[in-house]
Amino acid sequence: MTVESEAGVPAAPTAGSSTGRLQRFGRALPALPGLAVLVFLFLVPMAIMFVFSFWKTNNDFVAVPDWNLGNYARFFVEGTYLRTFIKTLIMAALVTTTALAIGLPFAYFLVRYTGKLTQRVILLAVIVPFWTSYLVRVYAWQAILGEHGALNQILQAIGVIKVPLDIFNYDDPGVFVVLTYIYFPFALLALYASLEKFDFTQLNAAQDLGARPDQAFRHILLPQIRAGIITACIFVFIPILGEFLTPTLVGGAQSSLIANLVLNFLRNDQFAEGAALAIIIAAFVTAIMIVFRKSFRVEDVVTSG
Amino acid sequence: MPVSRFARQTRWSLIVLTGAMLVFLYLPIAFLILFSFEDAATPGLPITGLTIHWYQVLASDSAIQNALLTSIEVAVVVTIIASIVGTMVAFPLVRGGVRGAGVLRLLFTLPIMIPGFLIGIGLLIFFRQGLHPLVDVQLGLYTVVAGHLVFTIPFVVLIVASRLQGFDRRLEWASADLGASPMRTLRHIVLPLIAPAILAGALLCVTLSIDEFVITFFLIGPQQTLPLYIYTQIKFGVTPEVNAIATVILLVSLLTVALGSLLLTGRRRLLRRPR
Amino acid sequence: MADLNSRLARREFLKLAGAVGATAGMSAFLAACSTSGVTAAPATVAPSLAAGATPGASAAATPGPTGTFNWLTWGDHWYQAEMDQIAATYGIKANITSFSDDIDAYTKVQQVGGQVDLVSEDALWVPYFYQHQLIDAFDINSLKVASQLYSVAREFSIWTTPAGYLGYPNGWAPIQIAYDPAHVTSGADSWQLLLDPKYKKRVVVEDQPVEVMAYMGKAAGVKDPYNMTDAEIAQAKALLVQLKPNILRLAPQATDTVAALKNGEAWIATINLGEDTAVKDQGGPTLNVFTPKEGSIGWMDAEMLVHGGVNNNLLMPFLEVHEQAEYVAANFMINRRPLFSEAAYKLLINQGQQELADHLLFNKPETVNTMTLKGPGTSTQAAIAAFNDVFGS
Repeated sequence: MTVESEAGVPAAPTAGSSTGRLQRFGRALPALPGLAVLVFLFLVPMAIMFVFSFWKTNNDFVAVPDWNLGNYARFFVEGTYLRTFIKTLIMAALVTTTALAIGLPFAYFLVRYTGKLTQRVILLAVIVPFWTSYLVRVYAWQAILGEHGALNQILQAIGVIKVPLDIFNYDDPGVFVVLTYIYFPFALLALYASLEKFDFTQLNAAQDLGARPDQAFRHILLPQIRAGIITACIFVFIPILGEFLTPTLVGGAQSSLIANLVLNFLRNDQFAEGAALAIIIAAFVTAIMIVFRKSFRVEDVVTSG
Repeated sequence: MPVSRFARQTRWSLIVLTGAMLVFLYLPIAFLILFSFEDAATPGLPITGLTIHWYQVLASDSAIQNALLTSIEVAVVVTIIASIVGTMVAFPLVRGGVRGAGVLRLLFTLPIMIPGFLIGIGLLIFFRQGLHPLVDVQLGLYTVVAGHLVFTIPFVVLIVASRLQGFDRRLEWASADLGASPMRTLRHIVLPLIAPAILAGALLCVTLSIDEFVITFFLIGPQQTLPLYIYTQIKFGVTPEVNAIATVILLVSLLTVALGSLLLTGRRRLLRRPR
Repeated sequence: MADLNSRLARREFLKLAGAVGATAGMSAFLAACSTSGVTAAPATVAPSLAAGATPGASAAATPGPTGTFNWLTWGDHWYQAEMDQIAATYGIKANITSFSDDIDAYTKVQQVGGQVDLVSEDALWVPYFYQHQLIDAFDINSLKVASQLYSVAREFSIWTTPAGYLGYPNGWAPIQIAYDPAHVTSGADSWQLLLDPKYKKRVVVEDQPVEVMAYMGKAAGVKDPYNMTDAEIAQAKALLVQLKPNILRLAPQATDTVAALKNGEAWIATINLGEDTAVKDQGGPTLNVFTPKEGSIGWMDAEMLVHGGVNNNLLMPFLEVHEQAEYVAANFMINRRPLFSEAAYKLLINQGQQELADHLLFNKPETVNTMTLKGPGTSTQAAIAAFNDVFGS
């Protein structure tokens, strides 16, 4: 198979000017199956959703080419979608900030103060629960946060509160807690991957040269783990834009996030209307990805540990 | 070692923070396991009694077992295909001198970051209304596999590409110098050395596919995977049996990892023995 | 670096191999356990069927076809012991897939067609399926077991066509409102109870935009809540705005409603008939129920024969057995929903369960004629848009 030979042999020593069009095509051949999946199972469906978003769904649950901008206008005109989207952005930002605020010291502790084995163990301890069902874990949170849940029962038993707490009771704070729970490991992995590569002797050198610890931290450490921080942010922020299960399971009447609103249409086969809203979210995500493409490194996160 | 004079306080506060976070992470797990032993028809407080009944129900519940088996089947197929296809993509992406490799890399990252329900809905619309005039695509495990591939292949691509990027090509040149054909070089030098990356990707595929709910939900036919089974238990919904199966899965995962680490440490210790 | 990678390799490989091996072993273990017999159930769940008495055994005097068919249905249409027994005695196995809302089954069957043999649906969805050529009509009186049904169940006009009947009736329920009498002392006769500002965060309704809007439509006096005009939608929406602060949560499944009522977090909820008994059984408070005076919504479901079902030769023999009074009565005891079998009612009386059966209106199947039946409507989109408006931020 000439294909592998082109991919395997480097451009150095004996290779001549193998820039013929056929040979270039041959080199690209192994990528075809993957590209086929990308194009036919991702780009084309997204394109179709894009087309549908300009159509309308009739009473028979079929999208018909009644070209209009109404589905997009709905997002901007009807207020609720824009407000809910902003609320989702805020929730995502809060969860991301919290995950970073806890994840950074957590990862720092692992890298600085523990041995390789302990690091492995603790990282696994954080990750293994994620091999159980997402749904069952979130259901378990209901039992903790509710009016008669474990949290209230314990707090009342030890006398900290007299009346059950209401803030977690099927409300936004509860959604916040569970989302932080779900997405913390992603942030941790990204930060750990980045911190692990950092050469800590630089901090010692900086302090030898007279810098205070916080100065060394701010001017030496943070810039170098910037990519890791951005990756952590993206791994937490973006998926939350698509979260609907957690608000449904632990949220209340006012906890709907943008994905819940979109799904209300899609789950009733109102494809055209739902597609437009979904495309808007997808466009937003794509924009973020493009802006941060240089700093975002998935592979570091995934191969760490 | 840190030289700050706040070292001890820093160290202790970090230990407390890490410990507290670990407790937070395991709190629902503890309840999850507790409820699996609960003597009630719905998992939740108050606990009125303990029983192993649900594990017995689990052992004889063919529906939930079939769902689990289906999940595993799908995950295995997805992993095999994604690993092969993803690795194949990585080569030209890194070495092929393809123009716009940066754009391609971005495109391959996109499916990972687009929320799952968009992919699910997009594919559903595609299969159902887009392709419908041309070809009659029936929803089933094939469509589920297709949906899973969309977001697993990019992971493999990115991981293997990253590994390939740092690959020392002098090894390949040396092999060529010694007379090996490109094919042999690939099989005996390159692939074994990037195998860890491929395996890391494969492991990730299994993990992602097995608990995949959203995309599966939209694309499945008259079959059932485990996450779907748990969710669509409607009208008289979830019993502690699902807690039981979640606990079982947790235990199996922990045992597997423990076993793997043990074997690994054992092997390493073996290798360190002086000759 | 190479060392780390090879360590990583062995580690990952072992993890993978171990995971595969362990799960394979686990499934083998579970499979082995499942053949060792059915386990005993707790007292509140399935009554055990007497070992020898297989229902309908006399009906299947001659051996019929055997095999497996595909059934798309809800969890309360069957129970495991029954399925095991039918498989063992008649060799007919059901490969069951569950779904959530009526529209999900419609989408599925539209897609998958004959891959499903038997599907369950509600009320007006049944003729909707027929209009879209998804199911076959049949002569219900050709089934011997159909004589066990209440006669009214064999004569629903919406399920009658010249070509035959559209489905084998299963069960029904009106949507009722359940409330805790310890906390609710007035207004317990109207949809307006849900809107009473006294009950902030004490009400649970389903997470189904179209249904909840229908409730509000009923509360506003709308006649056909699934085909509302824009003006009617506006009226319903105004009531929805009043409802919102009272809602504790939008329950994704009935189990969530039951859980909230059971532990006292919710005092009022919209339920399917019978869920109040489940709350009591699980140690929750004794609830009162009522059907709102403005009229209620309800459903009745049936098993339908999918057009072109690959295994549809098994369906009639299956129904002959599955719909026998003994199984139906046992199903009632598990799921606490009235079913359309008159013979099952008589059996329940013999079993000493008349009080429960009467409480759950088992002997009053004609109630369905007073309900607004669920079905696909023309105001779906408008209802969702209104719901999003209210429940968004």
